[in-house]
Amino acid sequence: MSFGKLKKAYGRITINPNWCKGCGFCVEYCPTDALEMSNAYNAKGYHPPRVKNADECRDCKFCEKVCPEFAIFVTTDQR
Amino acid sequence: MTRRAGVFVCHCGTNIAATVDVKRVAAELARDAGVVFSNDYVYMCSDPGQQSVIDAIREHNLDSVVISCCSPNLHEKTFREASSQGGLNPFQCEIANIREQCAWVHKDRDEATTKAVKITRSAVERARRNQPLTPIGLPVTRKVMVIGGGIAGIQSALDLANAGLDVVLVEKQPTIGGHMIQLSETFPTLDCSQCILSPKMVEVSKHPKITLMTSSEVTSVSGFVGNFKIKVHTKAQYVDPDKCKLCDDCTAVCPVVVPNEYDVGLNDRRAIFIPFAQAIPASYYLDPESCLGLNPVVCGKCANVCEADAIDYDAKPKDSEIDVGAIVVATGFDLYAKDKMAEYGGGKYPDVLDGIQFERMCSASGPTGGQVLRPSDHEEPKTVVFVQCSGSRDPAQHCVYCSKICCMYTAKHATLYKHHVPNGRAYVFYIDIRSGGKGYEEFVQRAMERDGVIYLRGRVSKIYQSKGKLKVLGVDTLAGKNVEIDADMVVLAQAMVPSKGTTEVAKALKIGRDKDGFLAEAHPKLRPVESVTGGIFLTGAAQAPKDIPETVCQASAAASKVIALLSKPELEHSPVVARVRESHCTGCEMCVDVCPFEAITLVEGKAHVNEVLCEGCGTCVGTCVRAAIDVKNVTQLQVFEMLEACMGGE
Repeated sequence: MSFGKLKKAYGRITINPNWCKGCGFCVEYCPTDALEMSNAYNAKGYHPPRVKNADECRDCKFCEKVCPEFAIFVTTDQR
Repeated sequence: MTRRAGVFVCHCGTNIAATVDVKRVAAELARDAGVVFSNDYVYMCSDPGQQSVIDAIREHNLDSVVISCCSPNLHEKTFREASSQGGLNPFQCEIANIREQCAWVHKDRDEATTKAVKITRSAVERARRNQPLTPIGLPVTRKVMVIGGGIAGIQSALDLANAGLDVVLVEKQPTIGGHMIQLSETFPTLDCSQCILSPKMVEVSKHPKITLMTSSEVTSVSGFVGNFKIKVHTKAQYVDPDKCKLCDDCTAVCPVVVPNEYDVGLNDRRAIFIPFAQAIPASYYLDPESCLGLNPVVCGKCANVCEADAIDYDAKPKDSEIDVGAIVVATGFDLYAKDKMAEYGGGKYPDVLDGIQFERMCSASGPTGGQVLRPSDHEEPKTVVFVQCSGSRDPAQHCVYCSKICCMYTAKHATLYKHHVPNGRAYVFYIDIRSGGKGYEEFVQRAMERDGVIYLRGRVSKIYQSKGKLKVLGVDTLAGKNVEIDADMVVLAQAMVPSKGTTEVAKALKIGRDKDGFLAEAHPKLRPVESVTGGIFLTGAAQAPKDIPETVCQASAAASKVIALLSKPELEHSPVVARVRESHCTGCEMCVDVCPFEAITLVEGKAHVNEVLCEGCGTCVGTCVRAAIDVKNVTQLQVFEMLEACMGGE
C-alpha cells in the first residue's frame, strides 16, 4: 500500500530460560509488546517469557536492561 | 412617559404591502390617543424614508417613534440612528416587526392587517415608557486570536498583523499549512500549491506581530467582545524548534516506521519526523504515540545523535491564558471518511483513493515523486475512474449538501492524470458540473476537449475487485445505458465535512453550528463572516465548503471586521441591562444562579448587576419572586401594557 522506503529496525531476541526467575519485567516493559509469558517451566520451576511477535522487536534492548537475571538479550537483525 | 408618539409603517416593497394593508395600519394608529403622527412609505429604510422620520420628529415635536417594518435584527440600528439625528434619544425608537412576524407568515389580508395593527400598537405602548439611555463604554484588548493555521487562518493572521494588531495563531498540528499544503496544483491556473503557500507560512513565522502556537488547542473561553480570556493547551514539545538544525540525523537512527499523516498513509515516517520539508515552525517533531518510550533508557537513540541537544524527553505540556479582543475561527474541514463509502470499496481496496491521496500522488514532493502509480502494485494505471459527489448530495446515506469544490478538483485530477499518463483513459462520473467561478468553466471544457477526459453523466452504483481490476458499475443517463468499466484505479471526490477541531472549538467558544455541523454565521447574506456571538468571526471551510480563492476572500473579510471592531478606543455595550430595585431585593440569590452570563453577584446582601456582562436576556426577571429586578426599557409594566394592547378590543 505504502510507497515508503523507510526501513524499520529489527532485533533478534534471545532468551536463556534457565536463568529466568519469571519476574515478567521484560513482558511488562517491552514498548512494542513483542514478548509474553509462557506456560513452560524452567529448571528452577519458573515460567520464562517467549517471543510473541518477532517482527515487532525494534531492537531497543530495553528487556536486556530491565532483566535482573541477565536472561534475555537482543542482537541487531540486518534484514 | 411620552405623549407624542410617531408611527411609520413600511411597505417593504411588496414584502409587507402584499399581505398587510399598510394604509389601514397607519390610519388606525393615527386615531390612537398619544399618537400625533402616522405615515406609510414604500421603503422606510431608504434615504427619503429615513428623512421622513427625521423631519416628522422635528415638525411634530415627537417624543417617541415606532417603525412598523422588518425584524429589529435588520434595521433597529438604522432607525435608532435616524431618530437620534432628529433629536431623540435612540432608545426612544422601537421596531414593530410586521414582516417576519406577520406578513410573511399569513395569507388572509384582513386578519394580517388586524394583527399588524396590534403589533404596532403594542410597540407604541412599549415606547411610551422607554427611558433615554446611553450605551455603556468598554475597554478593548487590541490583540486577536486566530484559531487554525490553514490558508484561512494564515491569511487572516497576516492581514491583522499587517494592520498593526498583535495576533496569536493557534494550530493543533505540529505545523501550519492545513490542507492546502497537501495539494499538488490548484485549479484553474494549475499553479503549485506549495509555491504559493510556503512564502505566506514563512511570513507568518517571521512576522514580529504574530505569535505562533503549534501543537496547541483552545480549551475554554470566557469574557465577551473586546475582552476574551482564552485558555490554550500546548502539547509537550519534545524537540525544541529553536535548537533543531534540521540535520535529519535523528530519523536515521529512529527504529520506528508508521504511516505518514501528511501523505494520508501513502508514505511512512519515523516517530521523530518533520511533516514536510517546508514545515513551519521549521523543526522536527517527536510523536509520543509512536515513540518507543520517551525515555533515554528505553531507546534514546535520537537524543544520543542530536548534536544540537534539541531533544528533551522530560518536556511538559503547557497551559496558558491569553487575553484577546476578538477571535477568528478558521478550523477548516476534513474529507468525509472514504471507509464510509462501502459501496465504492473505500478503505477496502488499496487502489480506491480519496481526493487528498491523489493530490499527494500528483505532488512533486509526494510519496511517488509526482508519478501516478497504483498503491497495490506500484504500476502505472492505464484506466482511472473519477467519481464525483462521493458522499455529497446523497440525503439517503451520506451528506445532503453539495461540497462545491469537487467538480473543479476532479477536472483538475483528471487533467493532471492525463498530463502524467497521456495514453491513459480518464473517466469522470458526474451528476452535474458546477463550475461557477472565474476561469472555471473554461478549465472543465479544456479537460474534456483538449485533454480528452471522458465525462459520463450518471452515478456509480458499485465498485468491486475482480481479476486484478476494479469493476466500476455505473450508468450513463445521457446515452440511457448501463456502463461497466475495468479500472486500474478509482479516485473518490469525497464530500467536505467540518473538521473534528471545528466541533471541539465550537463547543469551547459556545458558538452555533448549522444542521450539517459547519459554523453558523450571523446572517447568511449580510453578516457571512460573523458568528452570532459578538467578537467571534468565522472564515474558511469551517463555515461551509469553499475553494481557496473564496477562503482567502473570507479570511481577509474577517480580518477587516476585526480591524474595524478594534479600531475604536472603546466598545459600546447595549444599555438594555437588568436593574435591581434594592428596596425589594431580599438577597435570595436565585437570579445569581440562573444568570447565563454570570453578571449578577451578591453585594452586601443585595443582587448587583455587572452591566458590562449583562446581555439583557431577562432570565433573572422571570426568576425573581419579588419583582425586584427588571430589564431597562423592557420593564414588567411595559410588558403588561404591550400585552393589553395586543389583546385589546377582543
